[in-house]
Amino acid sequence: MSLASGVQIQDECMTAFNKLRMTGGTKGAKPKFIIFKIADNKREVVVDEISEETDYEVFRTKLEKSVDAKGNPAPRYAVYDVEYNLGDTEGSRSKIVFISWVPTDTPTLWSMIYASTREVLKNALNVDKSIHADDKSEIEWKAVLAEASSGKAI
Amino acid sequence: MNPSNAPSAAEYGGDEVSAIVLDPGFSTTRAGFAGEDTPKSLIPTYYGKYSFEGQGKLIYGDDVFVTPRPGLSIHNPIGRDGVVEDWDMAEKVWEYSFTSKLTGAKPGNPLHNGLNDLPEGELPSEMEGVESEERPLADSPLLMSESSWNPAKAREKTIEIAMEKWGSPAFYLARNGVLAAFAAGKASALVVDIGASNISVTPVHDGMILKRGVQHSPLGGDYISSQIRALFKSNSPQPIIITPHYLISAKTAVEAGQPPQVKYKTFPPERAPDASYRTLVEERTLSEFKECVVQVWPGPTKLSSTGPNGTPNEEIARNSPGRPFEFPDGYNQVFGVDRYRVVESLFDAKAAIQDPESLFPAPTQAQTVPELIKAALNGVDVDIRPHLLSNVVVTGASSLLYGFTDRLNQELMQLYPGPRVRISAPGNTSERRFSSWIGGSILASLGTFHQMWISKKEFDEHGPNIVEKRCK
Repeated sequence: MSLASGVQIQDECMTAFNKLRMTGGTKGAKPKFIIFKIADNKREVVVDEISEETDYEVFRTKLEKSVDAKGNPAPRYAVYDVEYNLGDTEGSRSKIVFISWVPTDTPTLWSMIYASTREVLKNALNVDKSIHADDKSEIEWKAVLAEASSGKAI
Repeated sequence: MNPSNAPSAAEYGGDEVSAIVLDPGFSTTRAGFAGEDTPKSLIPTYYGKYSFEGQGKLIYGDDVFVTPRPGLSIHNPIGRDGVVEDWDMAEKVWEYSFTSKLTGAKPGNPLHNGLNDLPEGELPSEMEGVESEERPLADSPLLMSESSWNPAKAREKTIEIAMEKWGSPAFYLARNGVLAAFAAGKASALVVDIGASNISVTPVHDGMILKRGVQHSPLGGDYISSQIRALFKSNSPQPIIITPHYLISAKTAVEAGQPPQVKYKTFPPERAPDASYRTLVEERTLSEFKECVVQVWPGPTKLSSTGPNGTPNEEIARNSPGRPFEFPDGYNQVFGVDRYRVVESLFDAKAAIQDPESLFPAPTQAQTVPELIKAALNGVDVDIRPHLLSNVVVTGASSLLYGFTDRLNQELMQLYPGPRVRISAPGNTSERRFSSWIGGSILASLGTFHQMWISKKEFDEHGPNIVEKRCK
């Protein structure tokens, strides 16, 4: 066991994530991304937002504009279902990317809690593609696309 | 079941914990209560030894600096490589760090404290069941930090002291590289720690240190002090001798560069402290010199080479405004290019100021900061290198040398022109000096952290080796 905060993952996170992960026949109602946060009681990871919005920039702006109870910039975790096309032979694919967002001026308390809970959440969701960002340039579409496709899709 | 849930509540439960966080370094030992912003107790790891009326005495904490007692000698229980050498004394110094300012001294044995002395003529009553000694951490879980290369034996010894000697109900041992990375918000980072006896580079990935990549060398703050001493010896117009305050009885102000006008205090040989005392006190002047005068040459090229427009860097440095410094004996001088020269060898081993009498052998290029980083990255998987380079975390008190992070950035951009290099270093000096302590303080204060602690019961069941399994 590596060093971790002990912060728990609420069941609603797993439920929401399973919804996003299940592809298949059912039309519509398929989530595109989920934003998670650590509750103010510092005890659990909860769902901040689950959305079907397909415009990546909407997601990115939401992440960037995340604030704490006092209105200061705050960290978040997210998963995004990235769809990409590898051309005629390989066709289109989709891959889920895990994102940790800890903006540079986050107070040390929250930096510490988010960093020490990251692996627990990532492992619980069992996502292996991941990005860590503290600056909005690190969550540009091309960075997320490159991570999802292991650099194959441009 | 949700896979992230803890299997069952640990034996040590409850949120009302007043854990103690102990971050033992070579030069200073930091201790404080979990949840606080900075360690309340900051003491030198050095301790003093002298004899008084035939009895051996020990002094700890800031008191070591105060009185130049006859025969007072200074020692350090930790080796220059950052690993404990003298366990008995390490235990005492660490214990002093929390008992002096946090938990209070432990009460003496109730049989001998005078309160239970028998009035004359009375028979002794039952003293069974009275703990003969209260233990200093009986009520406090303890989180300690350690270097990335602390050997298994030392880790086991540490938990034994915490559990058996101090009576702590719960314990955790955290790698300070991981604590520093987490405190910067990162689960993966390349942690560059510039300490007093060591500089180290620790790759951290997904919250774990990558052992194969860990690098360290002795070019820390104490090495820089040795370079400053070398500079002082060869100084012109005259060599500089550091005379600590305790050897000065009176002084008169002098013009810059003029010999000091000073009346010395003298000690007859049998009243004089050991030379190690003087060295320790001189170190305080050197620290001040590092803070006020020393500056890292900004680069992009070495101090010994030529800038973009053909002017030698040394000449540019010589023409930049110098910084004045006054020594305890009143001698004062403006330092120009020399203030860059004393730290240049952290980046360029050839630039080291030669001093055959120095305790530090001349550095090799492999010991410099850029080479350590290169070796650390070569020791880890090629796929994660770019990620580590964009998450370089700089910590340690000596990294506060003026201009250090700028130069490091230049060096890394030259070594790795492709990937994005990003250094994060807290601007706040106490966060830079105490980042591992602060990280530990936050974790140990979380109610949810109870599942990480190794309880006394678990220790009793599994023995000291449990630390290897639980604190990875």
